[in-house]
Amino acid sequence: MSAALPPDGAILSVDGLGVTTRDRDLLDNISIDFSARSLTAVVGPSGCGKTTFVRSLNRMTELTPGLRIRGTVRYLGQDIYAKGVNPVVVRRRMGMVFQRPTVFPMSIFENAAFGLRIVRADDGEVDRAVAEALQRAGLWDEVKDELDRPALALSGGQQQRLCIARALAVRPRVLLLDEPTSALDPGATQRVEATLQRLKEDIVLVLVTHNVGQAARLSDRIAFLHSGRLVEVGATADILERPREKLTEQFITGRYE
Amino acid sequence: MATATLPGNLPVVDDLRRDRTGHVRGRTIADRLVGWLLPLLYLVAIVPILDLVYWVGRAALPTFTVAVITTDPSGAGGGLYAPLVGSLTILLFATGFSLLFGFFGGLATAEYLAERVAGVIRITANVMAGTPAIIVGLFGYIAFVSYFGWGFSLAAASVTLGVFMTPYVFRATDIAYASVPPHIREAAVGSGARPLQYLMKVATPIALPQVLSGVFLAMAIGVGETAPLYLTTTTVALPPLGFFQPVSALSLYIWSDYQTGFILPIAIHRAFQAAFLLLVIVIGLNVLVRIVASRSRRRLEGLYQ
Amino acid sequence: MAIIAVLLGASGLENFGPSFWGFNATNYGILIFVIGSFLTSVPALAIAMVVGLGIGIASATYLPRILAAWLDPFVDLLAGIPSIIYGLWGYLVLGPFFGQYVFPWTSTRLAFLPGLAANRLSPAPNGLGLALAIVVLVLMVLPITTVLMRDALKSVPRDLWESGLALGATRWEVTRRVAIPYSKRGIWGAAFLGFGRAIGETVAVFMVIDQAAKIPTNVYGGTSTMASLIIGSIDAAFNLNASGVTELHFLAELALVLLAITLVVNVAGRWMVRRTYTEVAGL
Repeated sequence: MSAALPPDGAILSVDGLGVTTRDRDLLDNISIDFSARSLTAVVGPSGCGKTTFVRSLNRMTELTPGLRIRGTVRYLGQDIYAKGVNPVVVRRRMGMVFQRPTVFPMSIFENAAFGLRIVRADDGEVDRAVAEALQRAGLWDEVKDELDRPALALSGGQQQRLCIARALAVRPRVLLLDEPTSALDPGATQRVEATLQRLKEDIVLVLVTHNVGQAARLSDRIAFLHSGRLVEVGATADILERPREKLTEQFITGRYE
Repeated sequence: MATATLPGNLPVVDDLRRDRTGHVRGRTIADRLVGWLLPLLYLVAIVPILDLVYWVGRAALPTFTVAVITTDPSGAGGGLYAPLVGSLTILLFATGFSLLFGFFGGLATAEYLAERVAGVIRITANVMAGTPAIIVGLFGYIAFVSYFGWGFSLAAASVTLGVFMTPYVFRATDIAYASVPPHIREAAVGSGARPLQYLMKVATPIALPQVLSGVFLAMAIGVGETAPLYLTTTTVALPPLGFFQPVSALSLYIWSDYQTGFILPIAIHRAFQAAFLLLVIVIGLNVLVRIVASRSRRRLEGLYQ
Repeated sequence: MAIIAVLLGASGLENFGPSFWGFNATNYGILIFVIGSFLTSVPALAIAMVVGLGIGIASATYLPRILAAWLDPFVDLLAGIPSIIYGLWGYLVLGPFFGQYVFPWTSTRLAFLPGLAANRLSPAPNGLGLALAIVVLVLMVLPITTVLMRDALKSVPRDLWESGLALGATRWEVTRRVAIPYSKRGIWGAAFLGFGRAIGETVAVFMVIDQAAKIPTNVYGGTSTMASLIIGSIDAAFNLNASGVTELHFLAELALVLLAITLVVNVAGRWMVRRTYTEVAGL
């Protein structure tokens, strides 16, 4: 835990987080901070709670009936689970990208503009934000002449970058990515990774991945989760070369299970 | 709290409880409002159905005795033995007819026919299932009553209703057999099962619950039909006497009591008693459908078309 | 299918002529009944679509799963009630209720709306007429539209839903902007198949519509649909031997027109609904 940044510099700080169903713990007592301009890879074997973890950061967990949350998640020092905090506001601060591209059945432009349309942003602002978001997501050059085409006509990799652009268009400070390349071919994966590489100069990225290689390529920090517990977190190079825990070592060297 | 050096272009002071950019209050209230108002639309369905069942029960039950189902109608009153037996007899033969064509047709389509032919037959069956009952009735009259010269009879009524029910049985059979997972078929064929063995020992046990629920559903739809029967048989006060004799039915008695204008109160009672018996049969069959179907995954949509 | 069409055609084609498509009902003009059919089916469908979409959204989005599982069977049950029972209930229970309590109110308070003002004959205390036929048809079409749209909305992938919510949209915004566009085919299919059911409905409509071969001057007046004319005139067609032959031919032709309409509508509806399912299965 020594690699964690001090709480005052943290955009997002998680303290003693636990997520429970009626009969078992999905996450237990997790504490970790995320500070600006960093990419943290959350790795671990499947079923370790990675997805539950990122979903609890923007209150997506409450869409699953029967889950109980313990501990706190603070965004700029404010508990996102506190009474009187609207999840709609919280989610707007934290973009989320899913395993498979989830473009909406509308044009490329309207997809990227979705988060702005719902808050009735004026047209000039929408145009600016969409262009900026598509540029940041590295998609602008490919689609700038066909923004009115249906988004479903794009390739899988383009769709995923459009999803990233859509999340960026509302200018969140945090982007949560749940295995964003697991459904993509190597070429598309590379382009998404290039996009993430650039984005981490800018905002907080939390990347869930089962792929240690991807974590090594992209992340500043690696957090290793196992059976709902945070086993170890540290600078990427440290974790990869000198893991302190046996479980971590087994996982990164592929000897796990 | 937050400082201007933060990334992103959000307001410098970012208080989750005081979001001024997103119209959050209004949008959340709209969402809540919709969440409260839309479920009220269920009342559009629930109030009428309860009222209907209430009135059928209230008008039928006070005068409902065993005599209702054991004695024949006489004049505007009497019991409903003949139409009850008539309805069930027509249903029996109609179901037989629809099994003959619907079941074997569906089986052939799912298992043996070329995909192109099967597709055409499927579309035809789907569309036939949406053909208005009155048209099937008129067809029954022209073909069986008139052209074949069967007259208004049990035979004409049964076959006409059978034609009406066939697409429902067909579709249930087709879907049931077609949805046997391919790997099961491959495993059976791979282990040396002959086509007939596969059909009898492997596919049929898997498909049967779905087929049965489709048959019960077709029966529930068929037994309440009026128009096809009205054009192919006439109301008589006696149980069925023979294939080419007229036969009565519960729905026909409601219809003919209505046509005489419900001049006598007992006619109203009799109509509601017939309605009550029909409701019991229809709801009973629907419960059977649900019980049987709950074993096999089934598309609800089939219920309605 | 083809056999039905051929037989109906063979028994009636001789009448197809200019007068067949005309307005004159006594001279076997069909137009009145086509209009009557649309006057009942279109409003009934419109109402059933709106209510059905609302129930579908409530069931798919807002209600706790357990509550929806309790309420949805009521809608399903509407589909199971035989149409003769709807007719009986509509004629003896619903008609008098609307005729005595609802229509007097709508015909005075809402008289400024087109078609809702009273005239000399209608609304009558027994409530029978176009408006009651529409009410009964709404109930009969509602389960079809509701179930098809509910299924379509429920087949919107979870990821898509969550992506909308993760962008800070409310459930209603995701429904309106994502789920409904995504379910467009299923919704169109529901409209077509619901219309097919509405326009073909016979005995229930006949019992509550105050059968008359005319276009009503307000919504409470009697009229006739193609289907209700067939069942209403079939007795006369059977009994009048010599002259009845013509009448039967006319009814067969009317049935042919009705068949053609339902055919087109059902093919379109089936195609829409089928496509929705395969799209979902492909995801």
